[in-house]
Amino acid sequence: MMWEALFISLKLATVTTAILLVIAMPLAYLLAFGHFRGRTMLETIVALPLVLPPTVLGYFVLLLIAPDTWIGESWQAWFDSTLAFSFSGMVTASILYSLPFAVQPMQHALLAIPKNWLEMAHTQQLNLWQRASRVILPAAKGGVLAAVALAFAHTMGEFGVVLMVGGSIPSETRVASIALFELVEMQQDSRANQLALVLLSVSFAVLTVVYAVNRRGLAVGVRP
Amino acid sequence: MNQLRVQHKVGDLCLHAHASFDREWVVISGENGAGKTSLLRLLAGLDAADDGQISINGNVWLDTSSNFVLNPENRHVGCVWADSSLLPWLTAMANITLGVSRQGRIEKEAWLRELVQGLEIEALMQRRPHALSSGEAQRVALARALYACPEMLLLDEPFSAQAPAIRSRLRDWLKGIRQQLQISVLMVSHDAEDARVLADQHWYMRQGHLLVEAGTAADKSRWKNMA
Repeated sequence: MMWEALFISLKLATVTTAILLVIAMPLAYLLAFGHFRGRTMLETIVALPLVLPPTVLGYFVLLLIAPDTWIGESWQAWFDSTLAFSFSGMVTASILYSLPFAVQPMQHALLAIPKNWLEMAHTQQLNLWQRASRVILPAAKGGVLAAVALAFAHTMGEFGVVLMVGGSIPSETRVASIALFELVEMQQDSRANQLALVLLSVSFAVLTVVYAVNRRGLAVGVRP
Repeated sequence: MNQLRVQHKVGDLCLHAHASFDREWVVISGENGAGKTSLLRLLAGLDAADDGQISINGNVWLDTSSNFVLNPENRHVGCVWADSSLLPWLTAMANITLGVSRQGRIEKEAWLRELVQGLEIEALMQRRPHALSSGEAQRVALARALYACPEMLLLDEPFSAQAPAIRSRLRDWLKGIRQQLQISVLMVSHDAEDARVLADQHWYMRQGHLLVEAGTAADKSRWKNMA
């Protein structure tokens, strides 16, 4: 039970982080440099999971992906399975829940890029892809690494939102944090200690990486 | 013929510039805060003028009456600012060739060699910006601006960090390069010698207003007194 739950947590964190990496970068760019109506609204929506109780977020996601909704029906038609109480449903909820942890470090790193570097990229006739790959991403490397680490660690530690959306189905949606709760309830202290120690170690390692990266000044690429 | 007629508010300064110039060397001088760099930024497309038109080599770059602003990346200008803006994680070589494909770099090998020799930066090519002096960084930035063979060169005090001996050599070399490329050069400079040696036209800026002078000896003398 313990290792299986840990494996599901790692799988959930990996898939969520990979998807967030793709979604969060353009979103962070839009929030850092975009001038459009509704920017404040979008920023608020992205940050909402920071203050919203996880169970509330999980409840709304559950309503959104229920089998009788457009999303739930479409999912059922395409994949012949329900999205609620499935691993895919947990991924959906985790993406929303960890979105600010991925977007905000990237957004701050983008804002920290010296303006003259971005202007130079324009006057040197770099197209959007070249500007992104040769100037923006290397300059914001620290922010991207921090986003990956924080999104991963945050997903590993999710409880309320995954419980609401995924339930606790063994071998499918029972993640490490839920397994820990159940081990404590069953008074299996020794195994609970082991699992808690593993989760603590993962969180500690990830945060150590984030602080080490930030201390090296990679956030704005100022070090050679 | 290139036409420039712009009005632009930058902070408390109201910039008014009305001038025409050909494929020639224009030296812009004036006191600090007069709007010289702001004028170059408008030409580079980094700021959009509040009102006016810019037409370069028969192409419209800006026309506020029809809300048209050409992107900086489509203006084909080479820029060197007071801050060299070199990317710290790249070598001098990589900074110069930034944005050019591998094939493009092969085709431009001779041109790169000419730039590197002329700007006396052969020994610096594998160094990163933190290992360059400000004068060396300025020369690398100049090489980067020229490497793309721009249609116009915008230089903001490009020799300010150079030692007098090399400054003189750079002037002569750059004058030759301009003739070779047949491009317009607009250069902000406080150095009267730059104007004497290089300028086909002098522009003087005072409190945002552009005063254009022709390139006669009497004008040059007057400019010296003003500068």
